[in-house]
Parts: sequence; C-alpha cells; structure tokens
Amino acid sequence: MNDWYSRLLSLPETLSASPALAIGLTFGAFFAGNAVFRRIGRPLWLPPVVLSAVLLAAVVALLGMDYKAYQQGAHWLTVLLGPATVALGIPLYQQMHHIRALWRPILVTLPIAATLAAVYALVIAWSLGATPEVLASLAPKSVTAPIAIGITQQLGGSVPLMMGGLLITGVVATLFVDLAARWLAISDDRILGFALGLNGHAVGTARAFEISPTAGAFASLGMGLTGVFTALILPLVFHL
Amino acid sequence: MLRGFLVLVLFFLLGEALQKVFLIPVSGGVLGMMLMTLTLMFKGGISDDLASASQGLISVLVLLIMPGVVGVFFTADQFAGQWLAVAAALLGGTFLSVLSTLWLMSRVVRLGGGKGE
Repeated sequence: MNDWYSRLLSLPETLSASPALAIGLTFGAFFAGNAVFRRIGRPLWLPPVVLSAVLLAAVVALLGMDYKAYQQGAHWLTVLLGPATVALGIPLYQQMHHIRALWRPILVTLPIAATLAAVYALVIAWSLGATPEVLASLAPKSVTAPIAIGITQQLGGSVPLMMGGLLITGVVATLFVDLAARWLAISDDRILGFALGLNGHAVGTARAFEISPTAGAFASLGMGLTGVFTALILPLVFHL
Repeated sequence: MLRGFLVLVLFFLLGEALQKVFLIPVSGGVLGMMLMTLTLMFKGGISDDLASASQGLISVLVLLIMPGVVGVFFTADQFAGQWLAVAAALLGGTFLSVLSTLWLMSRVVRLGGGKGE
C-alpha cells in the first residue's frame, strides 16, 4: 500500500528520464496559454508566450521536477529551432518584391537601429553600476537566441541571464511597437514588422506574423539582419 | 510536408557545416535561412511541400522558444543585486530603441526611399 504511493510520488522524477514528459508539459502549456489568452480577450500587454511560460514554470515547480531535467527533455523541441529559423527564409522569399521596394530604407535603418538597440541598454545598465558580466549578458538582448548565445559566450556573459533578458526584451518590444505605432501614427505593416524583428527577435517575429504575412516577412528580415550585423559588430565595439 | 521538412533540415545542416568549417560568427540557422532565400530566388519558385512545412514550423515558433523562456523563472537569483540596472536597461533601452527604429524607418521611407506599395 505504501509502496505504490511512494512510487506515485516519485513519478515526476521517474518519468523525466525520458523527454516525453518535458515535451508533453511544454505542448500542454502552449495550448493552455493560448486558450487563456483568448478567454481573457487577447490583451496586448500579456502575450500568450508569457502566459504559457508562467503556466509551465508553475507546473514544473509543483511537480518538484528539477529544472535541469526539464531542460534536457525539452531540448528535443529546441533542436527544431534551427530548421524553424531556416523556414523563415520562405516568407522572406515570398515577400521579396516588398523588400526590394524598400531596400534603401532597410539598409539605412538597420546598422543605426541595431547598434542603438544594444547601446541604449548598455549605457543605462553601465550608468546604474552593472558589472561587466551583466553588461556582456545584456548586450545581445535584441538578437535571436541561437546567435545571442554565441555572442554572450564570446563576450564573457552569463547565458541564463542573457536568455532572461532576451525574453523580456522580446515581450516589451512587442508591447512598445504596438504602443508606439499608435503614438507615431504608423500603420505600414512593413515598418512595424521590421521594428518587431529588429528589436524583439523571435517573440516579435511571432507577433508580426499575427499582424500579416508582410509584417512577418519584414520581421524575419529584421531579425536575421540584426543577428548577422550584431554578431559581427558587437565583439568589436564591446571591447572599446 | 515531411519532404519539405527534410529540405529545411538539410539547409540547416548546410548552414551549420559552413559555420563550423569557416568559423563564421553567425548561427547555422541564420546562414541556412539566407541560403534558402537565395536558392528560392535563383529557382524562382517554391514547392507546396516546402511552403506547408515552413508554415507549420513558423506557427509553432513560440512553442519552440518556450523551454528557453521558462529558464528565466529558475535563474532569477542571477539578477539579484543588479535587478534595477537590468530592468532599467531592458525596459528603458528597448523602449528607446523601438521608438528610434520606428521613427528612423518611417522617416527614411517618407523621404522617398520606398516607392511602390
């Protein structure tokens, strides 16, 4: 009688030996987060990714599951991020005529805006007394995760702190783009998408695809170009 | 759709291989994305398989970044002591950079760079 009960209690630990539990929890939280999001009337300030992440963190903590064990199982999903990044090349191609029409503004805006995205944060953090390690973790905050990991390691920052900053940046960038668009009276999907991808990497790009395929394509472009540009420039600038 | 998925994985592997061999400071995924766009532009068309596979993956992008996102809640103590600097940098910095991007881009577009809707 006590045997099966103790086996039941240790079930989260036993099951997390296989990635199925972590994957199941992630899928469950993803759908639950989206359902809650629709139920509470799609508020802009609380995107589904945050709802899902909070739910997932709560369930993982309640099950007494080790975060490392969860991460190992969920790694199977993270592997798909590579092919998914490649998939962004397809809307990019399909929207090429829009991009061609705007290549000049893109070329002018990108280096300035991508540099500013890092510099603003670095100057604020530095003036408030952040350590070099924290600065190195914040610098790639607008860059898509796979590239940002490489940059942070190169600069000597902390990857978990960087991932946290990345998420917060993605969410607030999504919010601020929606707010600022109304404020500056900008309704051009191409500009909104570009700003979403440039500042809010994958989170912003996911939001841009909700606006329209054109916005999504420009977000993919902004995300990709920012990633490439920042990866090349930041290590040079940071050591100055 | 699986055929399309295979193409995506192959381009990703190609990007990874290029990155590892030539030590390019850009991730394999982004290299693969650029190769994919260039290939499609060269070919001038896209198969239904590839279109549906990419659409499927893009629609679950949020799902794929969630495991990394959840880490924030379990590494929150790393922010300890510096949380004010971190929060101010993330919120203030992102706010300023979003405004700059939108303002700059709409300005340049209006100056005549972006003809043709």
